[in-house]
Amino acid sequence: MRLRGVLRFHWARDVDEALSLLRAYEGKGAILAGGVDLARSARTDIEGLIDITGTGLSYVREDPKGLRIGATTTLSELLFHPLSREYAGGVIAETLRLVAYPALRNVATIGGATVSAHPWADIPTMLVALGAEARWRNEEKEEKASVEELYKTQFRGIFREAILLELVLPHWDGVFVFEKIGRNAGDIALLNVCAGLGLREGKIAWARVAVGARPERGERLPWLEEMLLGKEPDENLWKKAEEEVKERIKVGSDRRASGEWRREVAGVLVRRTLARAAGKAVK
Amino acid sequence: MKIYFELNGRPQYVEVEPGESLLSLLRRLGMKSVKEGCGTGECGVCTVLLDGKPIRSCITFAPKVQGKRVTTLEGLGTLEDPHPLQRAFVEAGAVQCGFCTPGMILTAYALLQENPAPAPYEVREYLVGNLCRCTGYKKIVDAVLLAAKWKREGRWR
Amino acid sequence: MAVILKAKREVVGQNVLKVDGLPLATGQPKFTLDMDLPGALVGKILYSPYAHAEIVSIDTSEAEKVPGVACILHYGNVPRVPYTTAGQGWPEPSPYDTVLFDKKVRYVGDRVAAVAAETEEAALEALRKIKVEYKVLPAVFTVEEALAPGAPIIHDEEDAEGIYDAKRNIAAAVDVPIGNIEKGFAESDVVVEATCELPYSQHAAMEPHCVIAYFDEDGRLVIRSSTQVPFHIRRVVSRVLGIPIHRIRVVKPRIGGGFGSKQEIILEPVAAALALRTGRPVKMALSREEVFVSTRTIHPAKVRVKLGAKKDGTLHAIELEAILNTGAYGAHGGTTLYNVGSKALPLYNKARNLRFHGKAVYTNLPVAGAYRGYGANQGFFGLEIAMDMLAEKLGMDPIELRLRNHIRTGETSPIFEKLGEGREGKPQVIRSCALEECLRIGAERIGWYEKRRNPRRKGPWAYGVGLACAMQGSGITGVDMAAATLIMNEDGSFRLLVGATDLGTGSDTVLAQIAAEVLGVPVEKISVYSSDTDFTPFDKGAYASSTTYVSGNAVLKAAEEVKRQILEVASEILEEPAEGLILAGGKVVSERTGREVSLSEVGHRAFYVANQRQIAATASFACPESPPPFAAFFAEVAVDTETGIVRVEKFVVVADCGQPIHPKLAEGQLEGAVVQGIGHALYEEMLFSERGSTVNSTFFDYRIPTVLDVPEIEAILVPSDEPTGPFGAKSIAEVGIDGPVPAISNAIYHAVGVRLTRAPFTPERILAALRTKDKERKG
Ligand SMILES: Cc1cc2nc3c(=O)[nH]c(=O)nc-3n(C[C@H](O)[C@H](O)[C@H](O)COP(=O)(O)OP(=O)(O)OC[C@H]3O[C@@H](n4cnc5c(N)ncnc54)[C@H](O)[C@@H]3O)c2cc1C
Ligand code: FES
Ligand code: FES
Repeated sequence: MRLRGVLRFHWARDVDEALSLLRAYEGKGAILAGGVDLARSARTDIEGLIDITGTGLSYVREDPKGLRIGATTTLSELLFHPLSREYAGGVIAETLRLVAYPALRNVATIGGATVSAHPWADIPTMLVALGAEARWRNEEKEEKASVEELYKTQFRGIFREAILLELVLPHWDGVFVFEKIGRNAGDIALLNVCAGLGLREGKIAWARVAVGARPERGERLPWLEEMLLGKEPDENLWKKAEEEVKERIKVGSDRRASGEWRREVAGVLVRRTLARAAGKAVK
Repeated sequence: MKIYFELNGRPQYVEVEPGESLLSLLRRLGMKSVKEGCGTGECGVCTVLLDGKPIRSCITFAPKVQGKRVTTLEGLGTLEDPHPLQRAFVEAGAVQCGFCTPGMILTAYALLQENPAPAPYEVREYLVGNLCRCTGYKKIVDAVLLAAKWKREGRWR
Repeated sequence: MAVILKAKREVVGQNVLKVDGLPLATGQPKFTLDMDLPGALVGKILYSPYAHAEIVSIDTSEAEKVPGVACILHYGNVPRVPYTTAGQGWPEPSPYDTVLFDKKVRYVGDRVAAVAAETEEAALEALRKIKVEYKVLPAVFTVEEALAPGAPIIHDEEDAEGIYDAKRNIAAAVDVPIGNIEKGFAESDVVVEATCELPYSQHAAMEPHCVIAYFDEDGRLVIRSSTQVPFHIRRVVSRVLGIPIHRIRVVKPRIGGGFGSKQEIILEPVAAALALRTGRPVKMALSREEVFVSTRTIHPAKVRVKLGAKKDGTLHAIELEAILNTGAYGAHGGTTLYNVGSKALPLYNKARNLRFHGKAVYTNLPVAGAYRGYGANQGFFGLEIAMDMLAEKLGMDPIELRLRNHIRTGETSPIFEKLGEGREGKPQVIRSCALEECLRIGAERIGWYEKRRNPRRKGPWAYGVGLACAMQGSGITGVDMAAATLIMNEDGSFRLLVGATDLGTGSDTVLAQIAAEVLGVPVEKISVYSSDTDFTPFDKGAYASSTTYVSGNAVLKAAEEVKRQILEVASEILEEPAEGLILAGGKVVSERTGREVSLSEVGHRAFYVANQRQIAATASFACPESPPPFAAFFAEVAVDTETGIVRVEKFVVVADCGQPIHPKLAEGQLEGAVVQGIGHALYEEMLFSERGSTVNSTFFDYRIPTVLDVPEIEAILVPSDEPTGPFGAKSIAEVGIDGPVPAISNAIYHAVGVRLTRAPFTPERILAALRTKDKERKG
């Protein structure tokens, strides 16, 4: 059991050191956070592993911009952090509880999940729905973008030369919920949904809905969000949302599930998550 | 490269390959309770504790344990002086082939450190990544609850 | 035949600690790969990337240059000896259609070559450098394609033996009519028919296949293997490699689960050949992916069941047709096929008109083999769904229908005689059967009558209950033999040497209990050793639910003989006839005088003092009949009618395994089997690409039940008393897997009115069935 071809392992002391090591390897170095993805990969082109878990990027803080989560924060640290429990109706815990199992969450990092961004993964769907912002740095400069925008680019190329520093989850005046369907417990998603609502004077003030693992990576449904704005949250609206989703959502087939099933069930999950979010928001 | 870590309470200063898995290192060091069932993080039989928390040794790079504490089942109890959790597994009938047992017991140990009075569903949520093909899990959950009871009764800490 | 001891039982029936429990729970190095052999080479296998191809040439010159490579084997440099990988008694009923390495490959994952090298890296690099030129042949991936006229012939080799019809890709076939089936259906008031399909699935034992082969200091070949069949390995390796049996020793340490996957002789001949060629120890350990791709699977099956019954529910005619996909080789194909009928049909013995027919068909997909249930699960899948349909059509409660038809103590079925192990069987009368009681208790525990009458509904969730019954056997009549050796130490303790292969089931414990009961000592006084072909007497191995019954009877006989010898020595010491002496509580007591002598005194005298001898006995037991255990299965499910998700809410299994020797272990067998069955019902299916390669060859994508999937399970034992069993015992290991799939399907039907006949019952399939039903209702 080993990643073949690896010649050296570095414990970077800070981000600068990690970046200069990364450059020195000229494409043959890899940033290592929890390492669970890298260890499972069949890559043979990596000569140097650069561990960044000691570079001070493990933290969860709050400031006026939102919840700041350091890239090397493990999923367990985040799951049990008091700040994340309160955030947006507890959606972080709701999502992370359904990500793999405790022993994986003890090691896997939020940054690793953001960068590896498996199409079936739950965390990207949540980040996209929440409007998370990613901040990263390469040797020249620090940059930022919403995770949603990032995923529309060749982001894997970016992180061959850059290190993701943190994610900023904006404050929301409302509630998000998350749901996923796997083949059985502990499975990756056949479909996942993260939906959020804000209510003002009994009407929907804002709505955000992202659906992932369809089988492509989680994306928002802007047409649905628009449709919901200003409406009264009730069963009929959720039914209408369901119909709309079944009509319009882009889905595909893979060996885990067919597009047909995904289409129908995406509608159901969207209805259920919206209803649940509205129920929680009222409380 | 050489790394330093603590294995079951004993200091180790050992040579590892930079791309080697912790599973491979631990078995080389004679910790044969650490099993391999998939090598890709999906079965749990390779579970060990890193600074007290369960992790998958098959998808953990060995150098990552530098400066840390690793506990394998060998470090929990011995044949002559087994840990109460180990006893509970035997008494409850939770051991059939025993291949999943080391990972199960270590994971359960970590759970009971975090939560000495888990509800049955909390035990199940905690063990969801540990596969067992023999027992149907029922007696494993029973064993963990039995050990938890013993813990609350002060029979172990 | 065994003697039933009427005395009160001290050990049998008690939940003693499993003899290997603490060593396993403390992580002692008891498994095959836990032994480090200095200087061992690593063996690796090159697999075929094609489903069907001829090997035009193999060039190993580049591979041999890789530093550290010690040996490369392929068809060009090993003897060609046809054999079967099925670990069965000799002569094996399975066809001899396999050789060590062939010029032809028949599935993606078939072995092409093997390398032994100093390191795993070197071995893998050598594999990459072996140049193989293939001539790709047309392949067949379904039974229908394989049977079609003009289909490519998978086994066209001249030297294969025992194939039913190689030209038509039929490994085995059967057609057994009893009575007049056509007339039977004509005379029936009600007729129903069900066709059920079980896909490819795998055992998924947690420990992958592994072996170490080396030559000991006397130049004898030692094979340390994770196997269920050490003696069959010795015999087959001897034949394939031309090494005399007495030069081979097979050691079975602890096994990390088998379920039939290790009743197969896969790696051992290869490792032995590599060790022979290099003179070095060779270690082979498959990765999980290799296990999925190259080892063995369940027999995928299409089972059609037609039932004819009288108005009162009495079955009058049963037709059972089974088409099994045996994959690229025929190991266990014919025997599993026979078992579909021989296990399922006798359960409802009231029908006079029967027909069982079917085929085991070759395809270019992975090789099916022995898998817990061994045909019975395929048979009961079809039969128990058809019974549910019949009950509905008759307007009768499904329990009532079973009660009207199932076999009882003192009854027989013509099937026992007609269907055996790939050949004719032997007549047999049922001497113990508590199925009626099982059904009654199960119905009560699940709340059957109430829930059948008033099915619950909660939002989108619809609830339902369903049931199934099943029986299995205990060993193979007229085929299986097991032996046991029991030796007394001078301190009054014993060594029990058995060839029986505990694969995690706890059979070592059960066998020790049987010996301990007879000898009047606690289990701790008995050291069990299993199994080592050098030190333990022959045992067919762990399969066919045979260990407790067959090996258990052998232990019982050996223990009776040792007891006789102990009493003999005691009678010398006490100077009174053995007849009046009682062996109990670790001593021999005179009934007449109350004088006693400890077992230690007996042992010391026999060893050192007078009339010296070793108190010991070896006894064997050949299976004259195969008493079936019975079980009733009750599932309660919840179906999400909007997503198709099924949750098993509660599962009750009630089984009659005779007298349970160790109730907790027996329950554990049931619980494990039921959960495996739930896996088959809801999740498990191997998927293949268009080229025939296994695509979900990881636990990431081949989902087996996790602890969170498991419902509340109640496993209940209803003891009967099997007069031929050791202390009244029958088997328990397999029967538990026969019921969950049909019981869950029947429960789904009760919940939502759709009949799922193709496993697994995925959300996708359920939703599709619900939508079809909606359309039918509207249209
Ligand atoms: C068995 C299993 C089950 C899983 N189940 C789920 C699930 O149910 N739901 C779900 O959402 N996800 C799931 N995942 C995915 C999991 O969340 C990610 O694999 C994990 O979070 C990756 O984190 P890591 O720190 O270990 O990444 P690493 O392996 O360390 O890194 C992954 C990749 O990201 C790069 N990288 C990591 N950190 C940075 C950084 N800060 N800057 C730049 N590049 C970086 C690495 O170079 C590498 O290419 C599962 C994974 C496994 C193995
Ligand atoms: S071997 Fe590590 S999880 Fe399976
Ligand atoms: S006891 Fe065998 S896998 Fe758990």
